[in-house]
Amino acid sequence: MKRALPVFWLVLLLTVPLWLRDQYLLHTLITTGIFTIAAMSLNLLLGYTGQLSLGHVAFFGIGAYASALTTLGFDVELFAGFRVVHQPWPAIVGFFVAIVVAGVSGYMIGRLSFKVRGAYFVIVTISFAEVTRLVALNWVELTQGPLALTNIPPFTLGFPGLGTYTLWNKVAYYYFVLAAGLGAYVVISRLVGSRIGRAMIALKNNESLASSVGIDVTRYLVLAAVVSAAVAGGAGSLYAHYLKIIDPDIFLFVYTVTMVIMVITGGKGTLAGPIVGGIIFGFLPVIVRDFAAPAMQWILYGALMIVIVFVLPQGVVPAVEHWVTNRARRKLAATILAGTAKPGDGR
Amino acid sequence: MREYQTKTTLAAMLLAAGLTTGAGAQDAIKVGVIQPLSGAFAASGNYVANGARIAADEINAKGGVLGKKIELVIEDNKSIPTEAAAVAEKLIVRDKVPVMMGAWGSGFTLAVMPKLMEYKVPMLVETSSAGKITTSGNPYIFRISPPSAIEAVAFAKIVDRLKIGKADFLVVNNDWGRGAAEDFGKMFRERNIKVGLVETMDPPAQDMSAQLAKIKASDADTLIITTAVEQLTLIFKQAAAIGLKKRVITTGGSQSPDQLIEQAGAAANDTTHIMFFTPWDPNVSAAPAMAKAFIDEWKKRGLPFAGLTESFRGYDGIRTIAAAIGKAGKAEPEAIRAALWQIELDGMNGKIKFEKAGPAGQESGQSNPGIYLIRIENGKVVLPNV
Amino acid sequence: MDQFLQHLVNAVILGGTYALLGIGLTLIFGIMRVVNFAHGELYAFGAYTVYLVAAALGLDFFLGLAVAVIAGALLGALIEITLLRPLRTDDIDTVMLVMIGAWIVMQNTELMVWGGVAKAIVTPFPDTPLVIGPVSLSWLRVFVLLVALVLIVGSYLLIHRTKLGKAMRATFQDRDTAALMGVNIKGIYTATFAIGSGLAAAAGALLGPVFLVTPTMGDLASLKAFAIVILGGLGNITGATIGGFILALVEELGAGYVSSGYRDAMGFLIIIAVLLFKPTGLFARAERVG
Repeated sequence: MKRALPVFWLVLLLTVPLWLRDQYLLHTLITTGIFTIAAMSLNLLLGYTGQLSLGHVAFFGIGAYASALTTLGFDVELFAGFRVVHQPWPAIVGFFVAIVVAGVSGYMIGRLSFKVRGAYFVIVTISFAEVTRLVALNWVELTQGPLALTNIPPFTLGFPGLGTYTLWNKVAYYYFVLAAGLGAYVVISRLVGSRIGRAMIALKNNESLASSVGIDVTRYLVLAAVVSAAVAGGAGSLYAHYLKIIDPDIFLFVYTVTMVIMVITGGKGTLAGPIVGGIIFGFLPVIVRDFAAPAMQWILYGALMIVIVFVLPQGVVPAVEHWVTNRARRKLAATILAGTAKPGDGR
Repeated sequence: MREYQTKTTLAAMLLAAGLTTGAGAQDAIKVGVIQPLSGAFAASGNYVANGARIAADEINAKGGVLGKKIELVIEDNKSIPTEAAAVAEKLIVRDKVPVMMGAWGSGFTLAVMPKLMEYKVPMLVETSSAGKITTSGNPYIFRISPPSAIEAVAFAKIVDRLKIGKADFLVVNNDWGRGAAEDFGKMFRERNIKVGLVETMDPPAQDMSAQLAKIKASDADTLIITTAVEQLTLIFKQAAAIGLKKRVITTGGSQSPDQLIEQAGAAANDTTHIMFFTPWDPNVSAAPAMAKAFIDEWKKRGLPFAGLTESFRGYDGIRTIAAAIGKAGKAEPEAIRAALWQIELDGMNGKIKFEKAGPAGQESGQSNPGIYLIRIENGKVVLPNV
Repeated sequence: MDQFLQHLVNAVILGGTYALLGIGLTLIFGIMRVVNFAHGELYAFGAYTVYLVAAALGLDFFLGLAVAVIAGALLGALIEITLLRPLRTDDIDTVMLVMIGAWIVMQNTELMVWGGVAKAIVTPFPDTPLVIGPVSLSWLRVFVLLVALVLIVGSYLLIHRTKLGKAMRATFQDRDTAALMGVNIKGIYTATFAIGSGLAAAAGALLGPVFLVTPTMGDLASLKAFAIVILGGLGNITGATIGGFILALVEELGAGYVSSGYRDAMGFLIIIAVLLFKPTGLFARAERVG
């Protein structure tokens, strides 16, 4: 049963465009999907290595800008008359550039940030995100600053000469996002299940102990940061080519908060957690919008966060898992007490 | 006032909810309105939304358009660009609005623009000032507010009389402020007026004393400021506190002089402002009778006087849309879009008629309003004879 | 040189209130290890309380200040008792999430109650500035600096000369031992949060009339408070005080001589620089990082 569940969800997701005609809901699903991918990448840092990074939106935004700039081209003066000119490249290349650039920035920021831990780490990550935002805002020559990068072209798949397909409509984009999401999921779950993953979990539980058995803590943390950043950067690229406009507001703290909420309420340290959290908080604004005044919506949002933290501190997914396990246990216990248990029960 | 706003917003929400569940009146033409009703720009967004409501009520009282009532579906973009795009999608897909107005800030409008291309629905831009909006090749954009380039051109007609030798700029660090510094600066240089410092401030910044200390020490005789009323209040107070004694001219149309006088007090005296609407003397407006009626209705609803300098855009916007629907003969996006090119009507600050702007074949519409110069002296607004 | 003196004076005046923000947070952050995102909201709450008392109700301005500080402390205690105490967990993410929720709820309640338009608070101080040579300062700002200094000294005395302060310091150094020695940890936590919140409210009450009162005014304040705490070292009041002045100075000089657009970035750059090169802060005594 447990194996069947993910497959069931996958099939369901594949068929969505066939029965969901409402374009608005499809739009919401796509943006939710993109943020969920970012949340999954945050989960790698938050849930598996136990590092509370609140600057995650920086990688998302860096990926978005990298992808947009690659496809739009740019012309900047770096210093003393030295100009760098870049011609526009196809959008799909931008996607891969975004992943690489974000990964590299993950490496640099990771190396610098992991010199500290705990609450200090939280604050330094927030600071990096803010500085990135201010750079995007003020380096107008490169990023257009508040004037925004507009007219970002959509992805074109295929090879010129063999046949190309441009992702203009939502259904096509939805499948692209779904594919990217699956890719991210596979990468993350493989990493988590491997020796590297186990090392990460070890150092999350007890850093000094892990270090004492020879695990190079910084190396694994930085590795997690790189993978996490790369995936977030990819999500950022998806976002840029969907919205077709990117401005420095992408670096706003509120987006990091959204991702954090998705991970923690869904269940950090679980693979399904960010996905569940993503769906809840991706669709919540849509539902709430219909019957509450704007400020009231935010209040409900905040109150819901607090309630979930109190009632389901581990998140939704672990709570559900416990409930399912407990139910099975209780059933088994009942059969034992009734004397009707057979060998092999309870599996 | 707050209660009214909250109740009206709630009522609008309930109405919108009722309509999306199909229980609404079939005899109404829906017009989508996207404004920041919460977040950093909530005050301005609500002013514009209320101006729009007055226009809609007025039109409906006279029988509506094409025999049907106009129904505003007002959505909040929460002062976030992605939310603006999301509610635009909702309005087009769920509420099936044939035309929209919005989205106040240039960043929000830019975020909505791709949706307009995707669904081929026209939008009237009432406040945004970024040049890009009308030069991106989006034929579904029709703007009645001027980009700073046009504001500068209008100002050029009277600038010689002010005898400015050298000007510094203090602008808010976004497309609006930077655009103003660029366009006004260009205009100044064409007239042999020297441009000195160009200082910027972050939109939420509250302490401009560093920038002001720099400006105080400069040799320019005039300071041009572009930002919204909250930062202006702070700038005036801080400028007075450090003894800044230069001529001050503000641009942009979001100055709300009455709020300035109320909150900055004596620090706001002897300042000059470029405005797009002058509610203190409706006779100066391009359409005095209409302006007077609008101002009276605004006061009757108990809304703050300070909001008039922004709300007229919502009023003009809805009237323009109504005129286009009437001309089109049917409430359909393509017909309305074609009709917008053909209409001509009196707005609060000049004739509204759209000229082509942007790349050939995909022009957007831009209307050219007039400007007014006002001064604040002794705690009052005066309209000088310039 | 004139410009420099003016910058210097601006910085000193601002630094006093920054110090208050920093002291409040360093106590909370240091003793309770709570990443208090709602700190800025207490700052905003202080400003709105003064507005309520002085402007809306038309009562005495100074009364408004006093009410703001006391109300802020009470609100802080309330938050601690209803949200933090029942959590029964030291998990930093969970606590942080709750504080983020509190931040969202508080800010939007303020938006709903007061509206989004900025409010100004009229004070009994004259508008014409005090001019000393090339430097001008407003009377209000001088008053703000004086009150801030009084509160800073008061906090220092509280922590170092009272029994409560001693208990707080003991809890900060080693919570478990302090508990074993009979310190009422729960009560200390509530008192700490209340005091920290009261100081934040005081900062807001003082700066509200200087600038304007808006629902989002707390956001920047929170982040600057974090910068000051990092700069000064966790739990270190003297450090936070000096840190407040340093931040104000860097902001003022950076905006004046380097680039005005990056003014608010100064705080963040400080955080990054300090954490990378001297993670314990400029002034902390031996303190285990994290």
